[in-house]
Amino acid sequence: MSNVDVETIVEITLRTLGVCIPALLIAASIGIPLGIALGTRRFAGRGLLVSTVNAGMGAPPVVVGLVSATLLWRSGALGSFELMYTQAAMILAQVLIAVPLIIGITLAAVGALDEEWSLQVKTLGISRTWRLWLLIREIRMGLLASLIAALGGILSEVGAVQMVGGNIAGETRVLTTAIMMHTSMGEFEIAHGLGAVLIGLTLIVAGLLTAIQQSGRLR
Amino acid sequence: MIDDSDTPFVLEAKGLRCRLGEGSARFELRVDSLGLHAGTVLVILGPNGAGKSTLLRALAGLEKTAERSAIVGAGGPVTLVFQRPAAFSGSVAHNVGAALLGKGISAFDRRRRITAALARFDIERLADHDARTLSGGEMRRLALARAFVLEPQVLLLDEPFDDLDAEGQRQLSLDLQRAIAETGVAVAMVTHDLRRALLLADRIAVLSQGELVQHGTRDGVLMRPNSLAIARTVGMTNVATGQVLRREGDVAWIEIEDGFEIPTCAIVRPGDRVWVGIRPEHLKIDVGRGDGQPIGKAEVDHLVSDGLATVVSLRARDRLFTTHLLSGRGLARRLRTGDRVSLAVDPAHVHAVAIDDERATNAPA
Amino acid sequence: MREASPFQFRPGIGAIGVFAMLWLGLTLAVSLMPSSAVAGSQRSVLLATTTSVRDSGLLEALLPDFTQQTEINVRVIAVGTGAALRMGREGNADLLLTHAPTAEQALVDDGVARRRTPFMENHFVIAGPADDPAGIAATTTPEAALQAIAAAKARWVSRADDSGTHKREVALWKAAGLSPEAEWSGFVRTGSGMGLALQVAGEKRAYILSDIGTYLAFAKRIDLEILSRPSDSLRNVYSLIQLEESKFEHPLKTDEAEALEAYFLSAGTLERIGVFGRDRYGRALFTPIPTTHRATSAAVGVE
Repeated sequence: MSNVDVETIVEITLRTLGVCIPALLIAASIGIPLGIALGTRRFAGRGLLVSTVNAGMGAPPVVVGLVSATLLWRSGALGSFELMYTQAAMILAQVLIAVPLIIGITLAAVGALDEEWSLQVKTLGISRTWRLWLLIREIRMGLLASLIAALGGILSEVGAVQMVGGNIAGETRVLTTAIMMHTSMGEFEIAHGLGAVLIGLTLIVAGLLTAIQQSGRLR
Repeated sequence: MIDDSDTPFVLEAKGLRCRLGEGSARFELRVDSLGLHAGTVLVILGPNGAGKSTLLRALAGLEKTAERSAIVGAGGPVTLVFQRPAAFSGSVAHNVGAALLGKGISAFDRRRRITAALARFDIERLADHDARTLSGGEMRRLALARAFVLEPQVLLLDEPFDDLDAEGQRQLSLDLQRAIAETGVAVAMVTHDLRRALLLADRIAVLSQGELVQHGTRDGVLMRPNSLAIARTVGMTNVATGQVLRREGDVAWIEIEDGFEIPTCAIVRPGDRVWVGIRPEHLKIDVGRGDGQPIGKAEVDHLVSDGLATVVSLRARDRLFTTHLLSGRGLARRLRTGDRVSLAVDPAHVHAVAIDDERATNAPA
Repeated sequence: MREASPFQFRPGIGAIGVFAMLWLGLTLAVSLMPSSAVAGSQRSVLLATTTSVRDSGLLEALLPDFTQQTEINVRVIAVGTGAALRMGREGNADLLLTHAPTAEQALVDDGVARRRTPFMENHFVIAGPADDPAGIAATTTPEAALQAIAAAKARWVSRADDSGTHKREVALWKAAGLSPEAEWSGFVRTGSGMGLALQVAGEKRAYILSDIGTYLAFAKRIDLEILSRPSDSLRNVYSLIQLEESKFEHPLKTDEAEALEAYFLSAGTLERIGVFGRDRYGRALFTPIPTTHRATSAAVGVE
């Protein structure tokens, strides 16, 4: 039996959070502004961009992982950065997977506002920055949904993080890759335990975000 | 039309051209000159699709206009309240206060102005309610409060009384009038409710197929519409075509097709083919009190009362005339369908326009 | 006239930029957490090996001492045999630990690998249901066993994933004069790892070729017994492949790789390899190959 004690499980869990949360924040900081920008402007080629976003939303994470690995290997274009099998690589892959999803859902949330709403805001002579604030207020539920969806995807992703992270003990092993490994070794009890931790994480995150959602409604 | 008011415009459209849509849906707004004065209400009338809402939006600066169009303002805030006002998510107070965001107004002042605006339209008690839970009427009041909190110089209203019941309209109209009087704001309003319009209007502008076809003072437009189409739009329902028979001093007599002779003070020459118009409230049922000149007899076809006014339809040969009576007063209570009555009218209230050139020949309003 | 955007306001780029900055700042703060995001300043070496080697647990037992002695961090990447050898070909690892002699030799022949050093071995086994319907317990060679299985059209599970184990299976079918592409109902190809294939074989009460380590790990769960006898053609030889740095356009951690190889080949390590597995399975999983025998082992290849 592998030497897996509580300390190891804690370490793997903290690392999982240390990969998933920064990935979510980075993806949100890229995806939400892009989604808002794309949703509030009309320009030539917009349709093409929206199609690209939709395609990206459907891109299989494992393919993203493969492409990332090909670039990050020493033999690849970005090899000299020595990022392969590091947490940074895992965060990068997760960001690539999550950004189209966040852009897409933000875009949908912005699109759900009807034209009259935006005209109304303009005719009240509200300055640009405050219009943005009001817009975000209106779509905040949609944004929350996109973040929850992205986080769920990131936490449960296994193909890409395995490929670019390598599941190295003490360095890049996270809950999903550890579960795969212990299952392949026949150590199902350990795998179940890690699985329970992972589900617990998902529930906590979902619960936190739902609580925020509820408090927002009552205000 | 010559405008002889000497107060300056707070908003003026000059040579306004605005093109919308493509192909068969193309529409062009053409308004050469239209101005708004402080403290007055301009009501914009016209059939559906005439471009009334587009004109309001152009005045608000929301429509792309062609070159050489100018919308010149005095610099104060111009705000537009839409036909279907949109609520921001949040409380009513937040909605009203949204208009004041980022304008360097202290929190104390904000609160004061929000409360004042809510009080103007009697929705203070709703201040903390979620704006999404408001009824249609309450939403309209919110929209008006939101507009007034800005202390605008110009207020543009698109169908402000839509979807309200009679009492709601009456109450809102009163509150609005008070607010206009207290703040001196210039108002341009689009409404299809003619009666409400006539109660509130100081000036009237008529649009037809995108073109401004007439504008002037309330009475000027109501009494002296330039064409048959405008007459219908402003509620001059008794219209007919005829020929001028003779002139006797100030009064010309016009025979309309079926033998009625109608006197008018309008300047028309004997022999002219003209159309004649009489507002329903000016067509009198002759009870021997000398209410104008008798013009012929008619039979009561039917009566409709809304409690305030009774609309009487009178049939004379093939023609239907309309007149208004105060409900509950003598004549309205006594008349029955089938009664034969005499019609009379004061020649000063008879409008006539020669058909060759549809230009009013009356003295300016 | 340009058509007006139906969305009558466009949040300024500045405002968007501000939000983006705030997020990024927060993100950076969170990322500067204890565990280093990028490879630290400590010396490290990348060892590519196969999943069955990882699954045996041998490396977890051996490597900590190496790190303690040399302060070199060993980063183990466990992938399929094909992927490990491919990583070697492209110089994406520093040292390989694999068990596919013919393919490994190809690396040496192509000059990509400096040398290949077999250092431990064990045997593949053919496992099957206790009642042995094809009667292979009576056979003395794996080729004869496969012939018996084919004759009886008994149930057989193959990994069919081009792994080291699968390559050996294919070689054995050929040596038995049979086609590896044989199709009879009962011949199952899973395209999966060893553990999953064993579980499928257990469920279907089928025969299967397995490495000894994974079999022992799953033995309690599945009702299969080892029915084959050790034989030359079942020998499973593990080698260390040292890559030739000059063949690649990017640098390799050659010094560290040499140190790691030397560690594996040291007497003390070989001794520990020889007893590994006893406390858990009651038998050792690997037999170290003494230095003197390495030359002959290098030439062996059923494949």
